[in-house]
Amino acid sequence: MKKKIGIPRSLFYYQLFPFWKTFFEELGAEIVVSDRTTKKILDDGVKSCVDEACLPVKLFHGHVINLKDRVDCLFIPRYTSISRGEYVCPKFGGLPDMIRNSFEELPQIIGTEINLRKSNAAAFKAALEIGSYFCSHKKRIERACHMALKAYGDFVKQGVNGKFPGDLLDGSQPKAVAGSRNGRLNIVVIGHAYNLYDSYINMDLVYKLRCSNANVITVENVSEEIINEKSAQLFKRMFWNFGRKAAGTALHILDRSDIDGVIYLMSFGCGIDSFVCDLVERKLRHSRDIPFTILTIDEHSGEAGLNTRLEAFLDMIRWRKENENYISAHG
Amino acid sequence: MKKTGYYLGVDVGSVSTNLVVMDEDENIVYKLYLRTCGKPINVLLDGMKTLAGNLEKDVYIKGVGTTGSGRQLAGAIIGADAVKNEITAHAVAAQRMIPDVNTILEIGGQDSKIIILKNGVVCDFAMNTVCAAGTGSFLDRQASRLGIPIEEFGSYALRSQSPVRIAGRCAVFAESDMIHKQQTGHSLEDIIGGLCEALVRNYLNNLAKGKEISEPIVFQGGVAANVGIAAAFERALGKRLVIPKYYDVMGAYGAALIAKKKMEEGKGKTNFYGFETAECSYKSKSIECKGCSNLCEVIEISSDGETIARWGDRCGKWSAQLKSATGDGSLM
Repeated sequence: MKKKIGIPRSLFYYQLFPFWKTFFEELGAEIVVSDRTTKKILDDGVKSCVDEACLPVKLFHGHVINLKDRVDCLFIPRYTSISRGEYVCPKFGGLPDMIRNSFEELPQIIGTEINLRKSNAAAFKAALEIGSYFCSHKKRIERACHMALKAYGDFVKQGVNGKFPGDLLDGSQPKAVAGSRNGRLNIVVIGHAYNLYDSYINMDLVYKLRCSNANVITVENVSEEIINEKSAQLFKRMFWNFGRKAAGTALHILDRSDIDGVIYLMSFGCGIDSFVCDLVERKLRHSRDIPFTILTIDEHSGEAGLNTRLEAFLDMIRWRKENENYISAHG
Repeated sequence: MKKTGYYLGVDVGSVSTNLVVMDEDENIVYKLYLRTCGKPINVLLDGMKTLAGNLEKDVYIKGVGTTGSGRQLAGAIIGADAVKNEITAHAVAAQRMIPDVNTILEIGGQDSKIIILKNGVVCDFAMNTVCAAGTGSFLDRQASRLGIPIEEFGSYALRSQSPVRIAGRCAVFAESDMIHKQQTGHSLEDIIGGLCEALVRNYLNNLAKGKEISEPIVFQGGVAANVGIAAAFERALGKRLVIPKYYDVMGAYGAALIAKKKMEEGKGKTNFYGFETAECSYKSKSIECKGCSNLCEVIEISSDGETIARWGDRCGKWSAQLKSATGDGSLM
């Protein structure tokens, strides 16, 4: 019988699922992904997690509850770093421990450390360890790893080619309108993938933008080459993987004339966002004064606050565009 | 005899519900400032009755605009032509009153906003983040805790000789700090004076950070009535504030102006149900949809037994059954 591995639809799911899906399938495992975020998953997460954690981490707990009784093992690796010389949020490093300490009865947890900070070889070693839970042939695990890298590469490439990662992972949102702009606004939304592509937690932000005649562009739509070239202009190297991508994207936006506005989607209480958001805002405002706004999300389910800000932001952009050629009589 | 045309603007906010009737020349002919008291529908209907009783019989409404956090609810009940967010509404109103305005400070019941204009166009804005510290509802609560009518709150601050320092970043912190200061014997005047300074400090730090506040600066919203806050702003900024005559109903006025523009652009006939609508009975009911594990809280508004609007469902299963009376630009 196939071994069932549970992957919470949360946090790194939104960045790395195409990799792990191929990897585990190649090894003959059955993958079970938790359901899309619902009120129940959120409530369960908030109830079971330590109260000082950020909302995405609480939500992760909810997804674990959704999965834990229907799988043979849970895949909660200890992500320390996913790129050379950079870190991810330290909370990800503590996830397997947080989960073990928050719940009494759990299936086996695969909590292998993934740390690419010093070398890619370490990642390969981690993959061999993870694979060994399902298969004893080293060659077969290596092959699964190569296939997984290819699938992941395709996913990244589709993003750079303009596909919206949220649509690729979860086809529930109305698709972007392809082709010419037709008077639609181009709005860049900068935010962590797990906030941006989980439409429950961001209160359908992407859907609302699309319905309001706007195309949504994200960090994942900008190529790694551009991001690296641009982020190299910063006065010092970024510490965080997400920080480099966000800053690189912000600097890239400054080169483009087709971007009408930038929204920074922030988790309340996020340490990384508090730095990166400010940096992005300074870069954008300092050189070009592109319309910019911050949307902070937390546990709220009343949408009035988000809707008001979003509507006013789009109103402002359209108002500014209408008046671009206007020269004031007051001088 | 030709009937005179008027426009109705309604702002249903968390603390107050405001109605404005405006003539064709954009003059306010009648305004009402009512306390929402947690019952937006009843207060709105009472307001409509009062308007009907006070307006001439030959008044006819050519267009209706709603704004505020209850804009959708109000729009569904009275029949709105334009449903607009309060940031846009406030900007439009301030600009009509003070055409060269560069900065708008607006503090309402639960939200505070800063709006920056350049050459008559909104070019930036910010709203308070998660905490409602320093907004009207918090001041209201402190006034009632101290047993002072809210109308006199500001004058206490002006009599302060040496305002104490109050933590202004969070409403809970501010209240506990105020209580600690009061228990050590500081005078009420100095505590309230300190509170006004704390709230202004928090506003400038939270909303205005990095923004250029240049004159003319218009201060509006219900809190503009608080002379203590206005004075603290002027001290902190070293600049004069302009408080418009209708500072407390600017959102409603903006909604009326937006409705007028929309009707003039050829929208045709108004959606307004008429003042008689106030005689109908309205009920709002919330249902928890059991269709999926989202358990959406669906709101259903009915008038004399007939369902007129529904919202709150994420999938559209309930709202799609009805064509609700919301204008364009609404995100719901």
